[in-house]
Amino acid sequence: MSDAGAVLDAAVDTSTAVSDSASRARLAYAAGLRGGSRSRVKFVLIVLAVAAFYATSWQLAQVDLARLITGLPKLGHWLAQAWPPKTDELPLFLLRMAETVAMAAIGTTAATLLAIPMAVLASRNITPFPKLYLPARWFLNALRGIDSFVFALLFVAAVGLGPFAGVIGIALHTWGSAAKFFADHIENAQMGPLEAVRTTGAGRYTAILYALLPDVQPVLLSTTLFWWEFNVRASTVLGVVGAGGIGLELKNSMDLLDFSRLFTIIALILVVVTLLDQFSGWLRKRLT
Amino acid sequence: MNMRLVNATPDTTPTTDEVQGPLMFEVRNASKAFGSNRAIDSVSFGVRRGEFLAVLGPSGAGKTTLFRCLAGLTAMDSGSATLADADVTSLQSRERRRIAVVFQQFNLVSRLTAKQNVLAGRLGHVPAWRGWLRTFTEADQLLALECLDRVGLLAQADQRADTLSGGQQQRVAIARALAQQPDVIIADEPVASLDPRIGGEILELLRSICHSREQGVAVICSLHQPHFARRFADRVVGLAAGRIVIDVAANIFTDAMLQSVYGHTNPIESTP
Repeated sequence: MSDAGAVLDAAVDTSTAVSDSASRARLAYAAGLRGGSRSRVKFVLIVLAVAAFYATSWQLAQVDLARLITGLPKLGHWLAQAWPPKTDELPLFLLRMAETVAMAAIGTTAATLLAIPMAVLASRNITPFPKLYLPARWFLNALRGIDSFVFALLFVAAVGLGPFAGVIGIALHTWGSAAKFFADHIENAQMGPLEAVRTTGAGRYTAILYALLPDVQPVLLSTTLFWWEFNVRASTVLGVVGAGGIGLELKNSMDLLDFSRLFTIIALILVVVTLLDQFSGWLRKRLT
Repeated sequence: MNMRLVNATPDTTPTTDEVQGPLMFEVRNASKAFGSNRAIDSVSFGVRRGEFLAVLGPSGAGKTTLFRCLAGLTAMDSGSATLADADVTSLQSRERRRIAVVFQQFNLVSRLTAKQNVLAGRLGHVPAWRGWLRTFTEADQLLALECLDRVGLLAQADQRADTLSGGQQQRVAIARALAQQPDVIIADEPVASLDPRIGGEILELLRSICHSREQGVAVICSLHQPHFARRFADRVVGLAAGRIVIDVAANIFTDAMLQSVYGHTNPIESTP
């Protein structure tokens, strides 16, 4: 018999030999203490590992508080220059801001429409092609892993300067995020109604649209709104790489060190983003 | 037909008011195993138009596996299930409408109305695009409302399914089955999630649908309350450990037979 077997037998012997509850409780308590000291060692090791991780990160990130302290007055000086705001160019800024909102709207909508079939393919429980399930998931992870900004950088080179490159950037990244989100939602959905509608003689896709879509529709709409809102914020910087929108003016102002222009633009972004957040929040509440 | 009446072989089973006619639905030697576990083992029985067949058996006897095989939701390893002349497994997608299924958990689309859920029963009849857009012809809509009226829920037609009570949801599910205009209704523990009074009403409804002249469908219904089987079924099939141990008319289903289904050690409610 193996050692482990012998130990186990001994344990069984003691537990059956001990007749009263108090003694059995004492034995269990002692076993708990032994387990406790083991878990304390584990805890210390984890703390050490986490500490090492942050120490390394601090080094790599080149955190230098002294530089922040010397730099802050500079920022204050710029802020002082920012007043009064430049309102003469407001029509241009508004046009660029509208461009940004439009880019986000088109990109997000395209992404959502593309995400629906992709989500069906990437849902283990309803995919018509189980073999494509994992490749679909990988593809979506790749899209999700690459930021809109990086896509925009690539597409500015491919399709030229302007908001269209930004639209493609937003659409590709959001496609990955949206489809993965929908797929996770579908994988957690109740399969009973879908199965029931299938037995009525409905085709696979008819059943999905009839039994599953009503279930995911509110989530689909509200998350699309959320992504639109998110993408407006994200795409304010797309202009920096030449992909259109307000970011272009933002970069120009910074290059010219024209701070009143810069802060006027930042204030405009804040106002528009806040208003959109409010609007989309209100709309989402009405949808659910 | 006359010839057959004259040459009819005498009935071997001493039953009364047994439903006559050709078999509507027949299972032969159906077997299904999961690994080494034989969930159902050479199960054979048949059911006629207008006949209410109850399948009784303890938990784990294979009822759910059997019903999933009958509905074509699970493929059996061997054996066959035939509907009139067609093999169930060979039924094309749309032909599956001929077998309607009623589930223990009702399985309605919770965010659609009662009427829209009943209209799902028409999806095997209409072109696919109507299902995609959820637009149905006037005739189909009238039929759906008629089915809802049949189960007593016409007033709730436009109510969302998740606002209905359990018993009402099961009625909607039965209306959906009716809207399929099926040849057979397969009900897997349709009253297991309902209280006894509502459960009795649901079975009464299924029975009246089964026996009505115009619909005249066959009903195969699994139950775990023997008194329900005695009260509502025409015939009782007992399933134990994946095998059929009893197949008799409901009115001669004795307590001894009940024990052979549920085992001797387990005293079951044997009085109605």
